[in-house]
Amino acid sequence: MRCRPTLTRVDALRTGELPAEEHRAVEKHLKTCKSCEDSAEDVERLANAVKALAIAPPRSIRESMRSTDFFDKVENVWVAFADRSIRMINGRSLDDLRSWYARRYGRGLEQATLPEPLRKQVVAALHGEGVEKPAIDLGDASELERSVLETLSKIPKGEVRSYSWLAAQVGKPRAVRAVANVVARNCVPFIVPCHRVVPAAGGVGKYAYGSRMKRDLLKREGVDVERLESLAREGVRFIGSKTTRIFCFPTCRDARRIREENRVPFHEAGEAKHKGFRPCRHCRPNVA
Amino acid sequence: MKNSWTGGEAARPIESAEENLAVAVHRLEAGAFERLIERFETPLYSYAHSILQNTFDAQEVVQDAMMRAHRALTRQYDEQRCTELALRPWLFRTVRNLCLNKRRGKRHELEQPLANFDDGRMGPFVHLEGSDLERKQEVELLRRAIALLPVDARELIMLRFMEEMSYGEIAKTVGATEASLRGKVFRSLKLLREALEKKGVAYAV
Repeated sequence: MRCRPTLTRVDALRTGELPAEEHRAVEKHLKTCKSCEDSAEDVERLANAVKALAIAPPRSIRESMRSTDFFDKVENVWVAFADRSIRMINGRSLDDLRSWYARRYGRGLEQATLPEPLRKQVVAALHGEGVEKPAIDLGDASELERSVLETLSKIPKGEVRSYSWLAAQVGKPRAVRAVANVVARNCVPFIVPCHRVVPAAGGVGKYAYGSRMKRDLLKREGVDVERLESLAREGVRFIGSKTTRIFCFPTCRDARRIREENRVPFHEAGEAKHKGFRPCRHCRPNVA
Repeated sequence: MKNSWTGGEAARPIESAEENLAVAVHRLEAGAFERLIERFETPLYSYAHSILQNTFDAQEVVQDAMMRAHRALTRQYDEQRCTELALRPWLFRTVRNLCLNKRRGKRHELEQPLANFDDGRMGPFVHLEGSDLERKQEVELLRRAIALLPVDARELIMLRFMEEMSYGEIAKTVGATEASLRGKVFRSLKLLREALEKKGVAYAV
């Protein structure tokens, strides 16, 4: 072997990374060539010197990445929280919460006490009361997830909306399926009222804790579920008022106070508009 | 130790516990991710610093890389992929990509004389025994000399001699063949020697 190929191999020789025959060839050359031998020594020296160059980060990265969050039980649900905000809620069991939490955030949970103002807000939210919602931290949730959950929180107690309405509200009228999936994966149920979204075709639809619970929740909030279903059976999706010529979702608080003789049922928004009705500004049925 | 032409097992085999670190993190074992950080934060930070020559950027990059690694290991990769993962090159490659992204953003500010970015806030030396002033000065000289090199020479020197990676692992990290890397590493060392001589150090360190 000559000088050039030898020199590029002296470093690999040092750590024994060369195949046997090359190893021998390089060693043989080094014995006969003084300048290559000097270079090999120099490589060794520099290599050893560079080891001292390791520098520790100024701030420990471990400190800046906490790896467990906390859980607590509030009434009959399990709450995962960190940094004064709620991160997940589970109505089934602690194990279920842990596994969902690990899947979503990749972290474990430790027992801790939920700070008082937060606990009060959670309790109020669980009872469908309270003006101020507890702070929620969605971590690295997608843009869509954030906007869907935000819109969901604006549906008032005692009212329901359809999935298509929700999709239109978040600006993705054609992505109803995707939006519905986000609703189904809602990690803070009860606080973000995902139970207030029902299929446009009638019925209360599916729910993470069973349709029965969804129905009970809605009833407790004052939704007349039976009436809603009978309307859906007739294909009625909106109610208009003869006096104001405004049309609403049947559960809208403005629709509920229309007198029986002034009610006009509509099957779709286009029909109502055609007859000279305008959509309600509260429940915004025009986008559905 | 494998010794074939393409083989590239670790020059100095890494501890066996580390082999399963990726799997341990994947299984959410208690303290596994802390062990991973403990093991890699200093090497990764030194490497990022060698590329970026900036304390704050390096810190940010390593933190970001750790977060990505955690997300990938716990949520994106399945167990088999974690088992097969070459953890060290994978982590260094993540840091490398993030560093290069960062450099792209500030292309014009980089590659200036050392005096402009050596901000003297390098953090404590790790392998420096005692308070040997002379030795400290030598290390400082070496650091300055390395900072004068082009970025690919800097990173190769760090990977090969500070982190003591095998050529196989370096190849995985930077995406080059081992044969070409041998030449590049030697040239980098040569540049380093020249830089040291320019600083008036004949036989530094």
